[in-house]
Amino acid sequence: MSESYLLLALVGLPFLGAIVAGLLPARARDTAGQLGGAVAIASIAIVVSVLPAVEEGEVLRLELPWMPSLGLDFVLRMDGLAVLFVGMVSVIGGLVILYARYYMSAEDPVPRFFSFLLAFMGSMTGVVLSGNLIQLSFFWELTSLFSFLLIGYWHHTTAARDGARMAITVTAGGGLCLFAGMLLLGHIAGSFDLEVVLASGDRIRSHPLYVPVLLLLLLGALTKSAQFPFHFWLPQAMAAPTPVSAYLHSATLVKAGVFLLARLWPVLAGTETWFWIVGTAGLVTMLVGAYVAIFQNDLKGLLAYSTISHLGLITLLLGLNSELATVAAIFHIMNHAAFKASLFMAAGIIDHETGTRDIRRLSGLNRFMPFTARLAMVAAAAMAGVPLLNGFLSKEMFFAEALSAASPRPALLDILPVAAMVASAFSVTYSLRFIHKAFFGPNPTDLPRTPHEPPGWMRLPVEILVLACIMIGILPAATVGPLLDVAARSVLGEATPVYSLTVWHGWTLPLLMSMIALVGGVVIYLSLQRYLQRGVEGPPLIRRLEARRIFDRTMVFLSWRLARLLEGLFGTRRLQTQLRLLLFVALLAGGLAVVLRGPGPGNLEPAGIDPVLGLVWVIGSACAIGAAWMAKYHRLAALILLGGAGLVTCVTFVWFSAHDLALTQLLVEVVTTVLLLLGLRWLPKRMVGTGTRSPEVLTVARRLRDLGLAVAAGVGMAALAFAVMTRTPPDLLARHFLELAYLEGGGTNVVNVILVDFRGFDTLGEITVVAVVALTAFALLRRFRPAPDSVDVPEQQRYLRAVEAARPDRREGITVADWLLVPSVVTRMLFPVICIVALFLLLRGHDMPGGGFVAGLTVSIAIILQYMFGGTAWVEARLQVHPLRWMGAGLLFATGTGLGAWWFDRPFLTSWFSYLEIPVLGTVPAASALLFDIGVFALVFGATVLMLIALAHQSVRGHRAVPRVAVAARAQPSSPAAAQPAVAQPAVAQAAGQGGGG
Amino acid sequence: MQELSLSDLGLALPELFLACLGMVLLVYGAFRGARAAGEVAVIGSLALVLVGILVLTGSVERSTAFNGLFVVDAFAVFVKILILLGAVLGIVLAANYLKAEGIQRFEYVILLMFATLGMMMMVSANDLIALYIGLETQSLALYVMAAFHRDTLRSSEAGLKYFVLGALSSGMLLYGASMIYGYTGATGFAEIAQHLEATEGPAAVGLIVGIVFVAAGLAFKTSAVPFHMWTPDVYEGAPTPVTAFFSVAPKVAAIALFMRVLADPFGELVHDWRQIIIAISVGSMVLGAFAAINQTNIKRLMAYSSIGHVGYALIGFAAGTPEGISSVLVYMAIYLVTNVGTFAVIIAMRRRGRAVEDIADLAGLQHRQRGMTIALTIFMFSMAGIPPMAGFIGKLVVFGAAIDAGLTLLAIIGVLASVVSAFYYLRIVKVMWFDEAAEPFDKPADSSLGTVMFVSALLTVLFVAYPAPLIDSAAIAADALF
Repeated sequence: MSESYLLLALVGLPFLGAIVAGLLPARARDTAGQLGGAVAIASIAIVVSVLPAVEEGEVLRLELPWMPSLGLDFVLRMDGLAVLFVGMVSVIGGLVILYARYYMSAEDPVPRFFSFLLAFMGSMTGVVLSGNLIQLSFFWELTSLFSFLLIGYWHHTTAARDGARMAITVTAGGGLCLFAGMLLLGHIAGSFDLEVVLASGDRIRSHPLYVPVLLLLLLGALTKSAQFPFHFWLPQAMAAPTPVSAYLHSATLVKAGVFLLARLWPVLAGTETWFWIVGTAGLVTMLVGAYVAIFQNDLKGLLAYSTISHLGLITLLLGLNSELATVAAIFHIMNHAAFKASLFMAAGIIDHETGTRDIRRLSGLNRFMPFTARLAMVAAAAMAGVPLLNGFLSKEMFFAEALSAASPRPALLDILPVAAMVASAFSVTYSLRFIHKAFFGPNPTDLPRTPHEPPGWMRLPVEILVLACIMIGILPAATVGPLLDVAARSVLGEATPVYSLTVWHGWTLPLLMSMIALVGGVVIYLSLQRYLQRGVEGPPLIRRLEARRIFDRTMVFLSWRLARLLEGLFGTRRLQTQLRLLLFVALLAGGLAVVLRGPGPGNLEPAGIDPVLGLVWVIGSACAIGAAWMAKYHRLAALILLGGAGLVTCVTFVWFSAHDLALTQLLVEVVTTVLLLLGLRWLPKRMVGTGTRSPEVLTVARRLRDLGLAVAAGVGMAALAFAVMTRTPPDLLARHFLELAYLEGGGTNVVNVILVDFRGFDTLGEITVVAVVALTAFALLRRFRPAPDSVDVPEQQRYLRAVEAARPDRREGITVADWLLVPSVVTRMLFPVICIVALFLLLRGHDMPGGGFVAGLTVSIAIILQYMFGGTAWVEARLQVHPLRWMGAGLLFATGTGLGAWWFDRPFLTSWFSYLEIPVLGTVPAASALLFDIGVFALVFGATVLMLIALAHQSVRGHRAVPRVAVAARAQPSSPAAAQPAVAQPAVAQAAGQGGGG
Repeated sequence: MQELSLSDLGLALPELFLACLGMVLLVYGAFRGARAAGEVAVIGSLALVLVGILVLTGSVERSTAFNGLFVVDAFAVFVKILILLGAVLGIVLAANYLKAEGIQRFEYVILLMFATLGMMMMVSANDLIALYIGLETQSLALYVMAAFHRDTLRSSEAGLKYFVLGALSSGMLLYGASMIYGYTGATGFAEIAQHLEATEGPAAVGLIVGIVFVAAGLAFKTSAVPFHMWTPDVYEGAPTPVTAFFSVAPKVAAIALFMRVLADPFGELVHDWRQIIIAISVGSMVLGAFAAINQTNIKRLMAYSSIGHVGYALIGFAAGTPEGISSVLVYMAIYLVTNVGTFAVIIAMRRRGRAVEDIADLAGLQHRQRGMTIALTIFMFSMAGIPPMAGFIGKLVVFGAAIDAGLTLLAIIGVLASVVSAFYYLRIVKVMWFDEAAEPFDKPADSSLGTVMFVSALLTVLFVAYPAPLIDSAAIAADALF
């Protein structure tokens, strides 16, 4: 359907124009203006061309696939209300563009202005034409975005920046609420399509989520329409160029809010909640806005508050839950757009030609710009509701509604007409003030520019709009009657009431009220003369109660204090705190689950505890606690105690008949303890206490907290372990392995069979990792630079040296040698024995506790013993082990065994087993897995020794480095730290060479 | 048990290719030395692209390999493509930065490749053990990457901190995994699911504790509250391209893994784990929204922002429906593009040869670097979820899924949090457009950063016009989990 594609053009053209305008050079003021004008004219033409169809009640639709998987299509939909709004947007848009062409100064980058303005126009058209809710909130946010850019157009001024920021904070924030409301609304209606939503009014009103939906949607609409208490952003937005104000605050941006209320009126209105929220917001806004407007000294500020007040009036009408009031609201939307746009433009002309908008400085302009003055007077009269002008008609309808509103509380019926009259009187007052102060009185003094009439083209838009005001005012039915009718019908449908659009209804009560308001307004103005003369900024009584300031305070609180508070509470840069938090949360989450569900009884009874094992565990626990205690003060003691705890674990394994496990644990325990001891040498010494002074309360508290955390973590672990162990385990893999170990792996040591056979591939990977780790440790330690405070020889050795130096009969180092003579001889004699044991463990590994891993560790222990008692220098001089070769050979051996299986057409690492008759030893099991185990043995041995060499060699190197460092430090006292590594380097390199060679 | 077969290897071809090439490049780099950095970067990024092609041309039907340890399905393919995209961009963004900082080493690319490998394995994990191995492969590489600028204190601190906390969380995850194994007798996802289906009544409390611990470990990797503490420090301390990489690829991988673990084997227990997800989602959103306001360093700000985004993504996950999962995927894809673009801008923030990181350094940028300003503005609007940027669609699908699943309150909290977070995104926009101009930034050495910015910005803006491909493929990917 070609007509529906016109809708796409209607939305698309302004955006296209915006892009083109954005690409124009900064000086192309005329081109940009012409482009904008062309877009506006095209839009108007489209509206006119589709108008007949819409007037017949047809709803034009265009559907394009957008996100089909989410059930979202891009739907444009034009009905009566939409056509009214699009008409307003494009007509006033066109006039504003014409006006702006002359208003904007040549210095401004005007194409950018037009680009934003056109984009805004497109977004606004998008809002009113949207056929689904998501799309509507999408364009809604776009209007916020572009209004932000338009308001902040003169971004070199602070006012513009603040105004823009506040506008976007409020409207975009409201927009997001609207978005949430739309999602909920779509959820309730079952579709986001507007047709479906509009048809499911009853379902929505009776849904339990109705109130949240309503609140969210109203937050969106009321922020946009600057309704109390969100009205404060609008006066701030007056920092924008006047064409922007004329456009945004008459016909478009603020009207989007009331548009939404009108659009969703059929589905949301009709409840008491609606009446109270919308009605109250409207009423308060209308009164407060009008009251504050009287006391504004800025022309545009006055108009801004008047806009707020008129929007309040529209909102109030929509909130009355009456069809006639809704018609009045729609009518007033049009009228307000016409007179407010012309007034803003008039104010802009005054600003443009005189250089100021301050009412206190303006005076007597009637003589300098008579034509503009006449136009402004007519428009202001329309705003005040003077008969024969358009404002009068809708105000008349409003009064009639105020009198006849069906309110849930009868008392309101008395208040509403009074409030209406008061607001109306205020409106007369500020209109009067605007005209009187600006155009009458003595000739102005000290104006920045000499006032004169503006160029004709600049005045033309005002003339057109004022003409419209008059035409509608005199001949309402003939001019806007059809449009209003079709708009009202599209909102109210069948329920559209009969209303009459005539100037003269006879001598009715509303007419009387109008008269009272007119007279009252004049009286108020006259009686306020003295106060206004003083030129005080802001209205009396509520001057101090500025919503803007509250907003600023709130923003500061949210953006600064609360943020800092939260960051302080939940953010920290300290690792310990972070660790603590992490643990705490895990404990809490785990504990909560247990507490909430209850652990439930285990189905296995714990067996009785053997007192001897209990005693062993007491020792183990004591060791563990001691280790934790000493960790801070005495690392050596802590390490030894840790070894004690490890031994107790070994004993426990033995106790429960897991000797293979125990054996492995024991050997690992020994090797790691020794390696740790070697590393300990390079850590700072034990902490020296700060004296006898008792620690501070905070310190104590901190330690207690850490203690509590440690205990909680430990107890939690223990409890979990207990809980798991007192339950029948599910059918795990263990049984599978126990059954198949001998049948398929030919071994009775299940652990070893798993390691070398079932999981041989894993083991191959693991030993590779061990090799890599050993190489890495070696590589890292090769370039190890001891911390300056641990380079020195240990205290004990210093003492010995001092003693030896003092006694000339003793050679250096002889004392230690003497002391260690017996143990070193013993360990040397033990060396071959241990090696035999290792061989034994290796060979029997397949059936009995033992295996390549254990054997490798055992031989390493033999070498460690030599290091401990013979000293590094002694061992290094004699050690003929080449760890790298051992490792390489081990890896090759293991891999080779695996590859061997391919020789027999079996998959990689398939094992074979049998028994061999060996002369002296008798029958020994012989599995191919044994070969694999030998590889493991060689590799583990090589890797451990390599790490050992790397670590142990440090002690030799450290001593050598000392004297040179001292020399260097003396030579360059300024930078000892920098000199030290440089000097230490040769020693390191040398040592590394030795270490690598073995 | 079946033997290793060629089809298994075929299924894991992308991963195997990446692993082998990574090792080859490592050896090549080790022999060639410092000169290799440039060549390795080029080969590495080409390899990642090739891996992406392999992933795309591979199977999309759900199929498992290695006795059910490894799974390839549409979900895995979708996420892997995102990860690879993040990884390639991680190399591209780093090229000039590393050179300028004097830390251009070939190991960067190798580490990044191995991290990517780990992520791909995570995504394809179909077993708790496979999951852990993938996770650690990723994490170990990332720890080193965080400390890549090892001569600066901040970078070393970041690496160390990440390592210590990461090790703790890995420990928790492992502990949880062993609890799960203890209570179900299986580590494979399919077997666990079978076991849960067969069990009547509520799940055993030990199993719940296990899930809690696994979730805690995974939440750490996604940097969700309350396991987020490391994020700001690590993001600030790590070299900026590394931060860029951190903020996209590992995050996508971790969230994908999160979804696979909880939705696949524990799909039966959705009501139990949903509470966890909701809690961390709300926490992340709120903290991400508020704590970021206070930041002056843009990398720290992005850290908090990423925490917040994880919170939004988890909203969709909390829904637990296919729509929810697909919304998370869409969200993460959009997040990835926007975030990479933002980091391209941050990396381009260099003044007289030195990197600057304060938000104040962006002041009045529009007077100097107009293109960059527009790009960053687009990204900030997108992150704030303001239409028509892609970020809006991301939030839309996520909130929509949550509301459809009945999690109205969660969606509302999400919207409110995004209102708050809009504040600091818009503050950056304001600083750039409205503040007094600071000194201009240096011209980037080549066009790579500019290209990344331009393409990301273009995608962010134009996504709304044609979102169907991403949304449809995400829906297909999400269906694979159900």
